[in-house]
Amino acid sequence: MPDAITPEAGAHVTTLGSGFTDNPYLPDVATVLETVQETPAIKTLRVRIDDAARMDAFRFNPGQVGQLSLFGVGESTFVINSPPTRMDYLQFSIMRAGEVTAALHGLKPGDKVGVRAPLGNWFPFEDMRGKDIVFVGGGIGMAPLRTLLLYMLDNRADYGNITLLYGARTPGDMAFRDDVQDWLGRSDMNTTLTVDQAPDDWPHRAGLIPHVLLDLAPSNANSVAVLCGPPIMIKFTVEALKKLHFADEQIITTLERRMKCGIGICGRCNIGTKYVCVDGPVFSYAELKELPNEL
Amino acid sequence: MSFARYIARGELARALDLMARGRVAYAPRREADAVVFRPRAEGEEPLLARATVPPKGIIFPQSERLFAFIREKDPNDPGHTTVRLDATADIPPALIFGGRPCDARGFHIFDRVYLNGPHRDPYYAARRDATVVVTLACAKPCSTCFCHWTGCGPADTTGSDILMTPVEGGFVAQAVTPRGQEVLEGASLPEAGADRVMAAEAVHSATLSALEAQNPAPDLSTTPRRLRERFDDSGFWRAMSDKCLACGACTYLCPTCYCFNITDENDGGDGMRGRRLRSWDNCMSSLFTREASGHNPRMGKALRLRNRVGHKFSYYPDLHEGIVSCNGCGRCITGCPVSVDIREMVVRATEPSEETPNA
Amino acid sequence: MPVLKGKELRVVGFLCNWCSYGGADTAGVGRFSQPTDLRIVRVPCSGRVDPLFIIKALISGADGVLVSGCHPRDCHYSHGNFYARRRLETLKSFLPALGIDPERFQYTWVSASEGQRWKNVVSTFVEKVHQLGHAPHIEDAVPYLPLAAAGDALRAPLRPLAYPPAGSLAQSLERLRERIRAALPELDCVIGWQQGYDALHATPLFMRKPEDVDKLTWGPLNVHNLATYLPQFKNRKVGVVVKGCDSRSVIELLQEKLIEPDNVRVFGMPCEGVVDVARVQKALGADDGGDHAGTAPASMSVEGDVLTVTGATPAQLKLADVVAEKCRTCDTPSPLLGDVVEGVASAPAGAPPAAPPGLEALDAMTPEQRRGFWRAQMERCLRCYACRNACPMCVCRDQCIGESRDPHWTTQEGNVREKLQFQIIHALHLAGRCTECGECQRACPVNIPVLALKQWMNRSVRDLFDYRAGMDVEAVPPLLSFAVEEKNIKEHGL
Repeated sequence: MPDAITPEAGAHVTTLGSGFTDNPYLPDVATVLETVQETPAIKTLRVRIDDAARMDAFRFNPGQVGQLSLFGVGESTFVINSPPTRMDYLQFSIMRAGEVTAALHGLKPGDKVGVRAPLGNWFPFEDMRGKDIVFVGGGIGMAPLRTLLLYMLDNRADYGNITLLYGARTPGDMAFRDDVQDWLGRSDMNTTLTVDQAPDDWPHRAGLIPHVLLDLAPSNANSVAVLCGPPIMIKFTVEALKKLHFADEQIITTLERRMKCGIGICGRCNIGTKYVCVDGPVFSYAELKELPNEL
Repeated sequence: MSFARYIARGELARALDLMARGRVAYAPRREADAVVFRPRAEGEEPLLARATVPPKGIIFPQSERLFAFIREKDPNDPGHTTVRLDATADIPPALIFGGRPCDARGFHIFDRVYLNGPHRDPYYAARRDATVVVTLACAKPCSTCFCHWTGCGPADTTGSDILMTPVEGGFVAQAVTPRGQEVLEGASLPEAGADRVMAAEAVHSATLSALEAQNPAPDLSTTPRRLRERFDDSGFWRAMSDKCLACGACTYLCPTCYCFNITDENDGGDGMRGRRLRSWDNCMSSLFTREASGHNPRMGKALRLRNRVGHKFSYYPDLHEGIVSCNGCGRCITGCPVSVDIREMVVRATEPSEETPNA
Repeated sequence: MPVLKGKELRVVGFLCNWCSYGGADTAGVGRFSQPTDLRIVRVPCSGRVDPLFIIKALISGADGVLVSGCHPRDCHYSHGNFYARRRLETLKSFLPALGIDPERFQYTWVSASEGQRWKNVVSTFVEKVHQLGHAPHIEDAVPYLPLAAAGDALRAPLRPLAYPPAGSLAQSLERLRERIRAALPELDCVIGWQQGYDALHATPLFMRKPEDVDKLTWGPLNVHNLATYLPQFKNRKVGVVVKGCDSRSVIELLQEKLIEPDNVRVFGMPCEGVVDVARVQKALGADDGGDHAGTAPASMSVEGDVLTVTGATPAQLKLADVVAEKCRTCDTPSPLLGDVVEGVASAPAGAPPAAPPGLEALDAMTPEQRRGFWRAQMERCLRCYACRNACPMCVCRDQCIGESRDPHWTTQEGNVREKLQFQIIHALHLAGRCTECGECQRACPVNIPVLALKQWMNRSVRDLFDYRAGMDVEAVPPLLSFAVEEKNIKEHGL
């Protein structure tokens, strides 16, 4: 093939940004401060962005997510489950499922990761002021709820009654043990734990989340329900909430999709015209009903 | 488009040399049994045929490096490693000659998502900025062209810097953008003159008429809504996708398809160096939406085809002022091994049906 | 290795744990001096060695690859090395298709006590590799695109078939339609062909209701191999209409139990050849040298060996001039199996050409030219996997190792090496299974002649195992079995 007349190769090297703020594909390098093995399948990482100025300037709202990467392995999306009111570190809790999450489970303090955050929308925490909040979390679904719950506890006066129903298959599958102990002990919130299969020495509830919820029968008056968990749990919990006369706008949840860019460009995470990475992951049930049936 | 120059047929190669000065010029070239865009050598007479593969790969490469990562051990503390990221790329000024309007409009489809969305894509922006697009208007349609259905057309200037039209003896070259004008000025070409410009416009109308005669454009104004209504019509989508092989030929031949994947690779086995890549991906593959748990919201090819047609003719228009994410180039039809025909799918989806009778 | 840089070549060895690795150890204990170029990878058995290991090593820059296992009949796992012998001999026979010198790959047998023999094997092989020098890389090959690209030169004429008597085709087709209608109630659907988007194209038809069967057509436009849809139907009963070449794919699928005989009904007619649409368009002068299809004909009909085209570019074309490449070497125009076969059987008169045109072209090239050929051809590959998805034998599409991250064989980079690697994976995975239906090549949207690689592979399989895929439902593909004594494999004496 004939040679082309080309400008000298290497003569037009452009730098495409220095970090996430000017290049949304470029992670900020962060260091793992500590890890907590919550359950055999769930591990929590607490990371701090190495660039001190960037870490100090980091702002996010409860519900926003980050793309956490292990260089050479890949990226995966996780909610920032520490609240914006506690900025010593950014916390992500990882359920082991595939290549990237298995590798993230192998991290130790001092290891380096990449963080592209904050991405996505957030819980409508401002609209929720003055209301009674009902949190319903299943398994790893407790993670997105944690950020909002802690934020509310750190701004306790702004919110009404706070009720938490947290369920898992077995006690060993419950994450955030220390938090849970704290929440059980607090007088400014009402915490119920339930497991599907209860051992004999289990002092809390037994039974599926939707059943326990109906039993607790929270009032729908001036309330918002925030749910997160496996799709099947969401489906039946929404049914329970409808039985309790919660309106569509009073039910908030999060959606999950395989994601890559996280910024609404790669075209992968759409449901109809909505992209889970920019129009979500937080959606109200009213919004979900407008979406094509592709959940 | 008042700035117009004339290029005599015999002067084309020289004019291209001048327009492409300081730039890597790409033009269609026959390579074995296909026509693809390749770097053009000085003096090379370009092939004026429409390429088998559109030039989107010049501004949106099939694969590109987003950044390299380099781990370095701290010499004073061997247990401590730092990571440095290198997000540089060599992006020379470029010029694309010989695409058609159905190729160039694709860049506008990209622009709306990559440049004007909630986040800006710096890689795409750099290449788009660096590339002059010189488009050839079509003098005759081919049997699978349907650009006049989708808001494109045989002389559409969307996405181009310069539009060249074949007239008697040569070409009229019209500037579409200020940059296009600059490039034409730099090529020291004679003015086209009013007569030639009129001749060019006559070519545009004639081709459009030929397209209309061959294949009248249906009314697709209700298509976005109809596709939403047809979403749950599983019999329809099963019938449309029965013969589909769920490969990626349609996607990779399409000038407007813009989906991509991001993957990490290592240089060597020790994990100390590597790169993060961006590469073309296609929604027809079952891997596209498959989650780590194994759950796949679009498990079957019918659901994926529904999403593809939905995205092009419903979701994108709803998000982008009615603009259809299809240029009507017809490559998905001719390139499909089993002749899946998007025209048929769109027309049938828009018609009233038993399932959804209200058109 | 900076000390030995420039003095050592890179030779990779795959040694079975029980015999050869032990043998290498014995050589070490005996302090036998040997070249240091060999880098050893220990595997449980030579039968564990996937030919892709050798390919990956060679295209990633290895100058030579050696595989060593237990002597035949002495395999620690009884049969592992019998399988290895077949696979590795097939691979060795295939390497020249890529322009890779087969001398750069050897397989041999060394037992745990044979330290001296190990030393000799390594020394001989490494010396040979040094004689050959650094292995050339595909990325550095000078692009080679011979002018007589597929579609340009007139190949050997189509051998005359006994074309059906005038008018009888319509009758046979109507009888076929009746039989399909009769079978429909018990079938999920019957897959056939119907008129496509213009007079030059047919398209697959999924018949579910009797009215659908009215649309069934038969003729030289029926290029698609519909057997590719069969494995998707899993436990449902389905019917398929086949030409002769397609029926071989059905046989192969049955052979490998990828479809159940009770779930498939085969309908067929003898075939007079299918067209290469690009050739027809060229013959009609209907292209502008590029991608434009031009104006489509108003109609196209066939009678005997003549195609009559009406419309903007009327013509009478000889089928022999525009038929697909694969039809020139076809010797199975009639379906080899079928519940219903209508129509007059026809057999080609005269001997087939020695090799299919694509293979002939590849044979004529030097190794350097072959490297340049594949480098040039793969440049425009889009990695769309149309070739894979059109292939009836590729049933793993959704889990294809060409795309998976686990195992991780290829990267997403669009360079020639990654793209060619997929084609090699495809050819290797089809060894002994490919029925040469040619769909991979026809499906390619940029017309890369990928069929030639499979044709080469099929020739290797024929020469080594006297075997053709898709001929006998009871047969076992040769690479899924082994023989204790191999008729056609001569040990190499290394």
